[in-house]
Amino acid sequence: MTKLIRCLFSSFIVMVLASGCAPQTTKIEEFPRLYEEQPTSILILPPMNESTAADAKEYYSTTIQEPLAYSGYYTLPYVITSDMLKMEGIYDSELLVDVPLGKFKEYFGADAVLFTKIKEWDLSYLVVASTLTVSIDSVLKSTTSNEVLWNYTGTVVVDLSGGVGNGGGVIGLALKVVVIAINSAMAEYVKYAREANYKALATMPFGKYHLQHNKDQNIQFIDLTPEEK
Amino acid sequence: MKKKVLLLLLCLIIPIISGCTTNKMYYFGDYSETLYAYEKNQNDESLIKHLQELDRVIQESKEKSLRVPPGIYAEFGYLKLKMNKPKEAVEYFNAESQLYPEAKHLMDRLINKVETQGNSELNSGAKND
Repeated sequence: MTKLIRCLFSSFIVMVLASGCAPQTTKIEEFPRLYEEQPTSILILPPMNESTAADAKEYYSTTIQEPLAYSGYYTLPYVITSDMLKMEGIYDSELLVDVPLGKFKEYFGADAVLFTKIKEWDLSYLVVASTLTVSIDSVLKSTTSNEVLWNYTGTVVVDLSGGVGNGGGVIGLALKVVVIAINSAMAEYVKYAREANYKALATMPFGKYHLQHNKDQNIQFIDLTPEEK
Repeated sequence: MKKKVLLLLLCLIIPIISGCTTNKMYYFGDYSETLYAYEKNQNDESLIKHLQELDRVIQESKEKSLRVPPGIYAEFGYLKLKMNKPKEAVEYFNAESQLYPEAKHLMDRLINKVETQGNSELNSGAKND
């Protein structure tokens, strides 16, 4: 029993320390507009790919719907919406920057639009630790007010070697996503891409279909952006 | 004192446990894997594999009494349309808007397109039913 207490207590200390490093704000302070407007449907726009990985766009767009759904939002089916945009000659959202956002409400019935710029998408295989490093710049904008509802700029690192490496320290370990083995197979890699998307969406307040919807205003906003870079 | 410790523990444990339950919301199976394969190489084989996976997601969700995830019915219908099955497509588009009212706008747009123009515009080069 004492062991259990000690274990839990130390994890509590770690949590306090980890959160202590981040600015002390809550989700509602960070994203007040989102709580005000209560968007439910999100249109995911084809990402702009500035990374050197040619596949980054597909990896991103095929793995973004699942984490958004788990956050409680209705994601308009990307396969359909991206085809419809292609028919209009739009292959990535660079061409959409100046389009009035109300058009997306009119055409797709979207409450909000997700713009994403992929800045880095690097898979590095090293003997000690293999990682997928993803740097993105995501903005969720309202189609009614044109305002920014949520945004994330930063780098997420997914560890592909799963706890084998010894770097990172306690806090590093706590934030790491445990994945099984190094496997360059395509299907496996999709999993890591999805994990990166889960991490990048971690600060988004929950939507209509999540049990915590409108109950997470005062949850502390933890800035997951690494300090360097 | 012991009671206080227990209370503190409870306060710590509850959020951790409730955090774990969120994964029970939906069943996605290998959706993103087969979707990626399809997006990467659009051919009959990858299309059929992805359709099979969508079907599995629908069946498994029902079995587990979970809500079918957003967009799954719509995507299933859309791919059926690509395979020249407009009637089935419309059924699935309707299923999507019944489950998710926020999809209705887009689904009605698609249904309208199918009914007025057949699926020729969505599937250029294919024969109409």
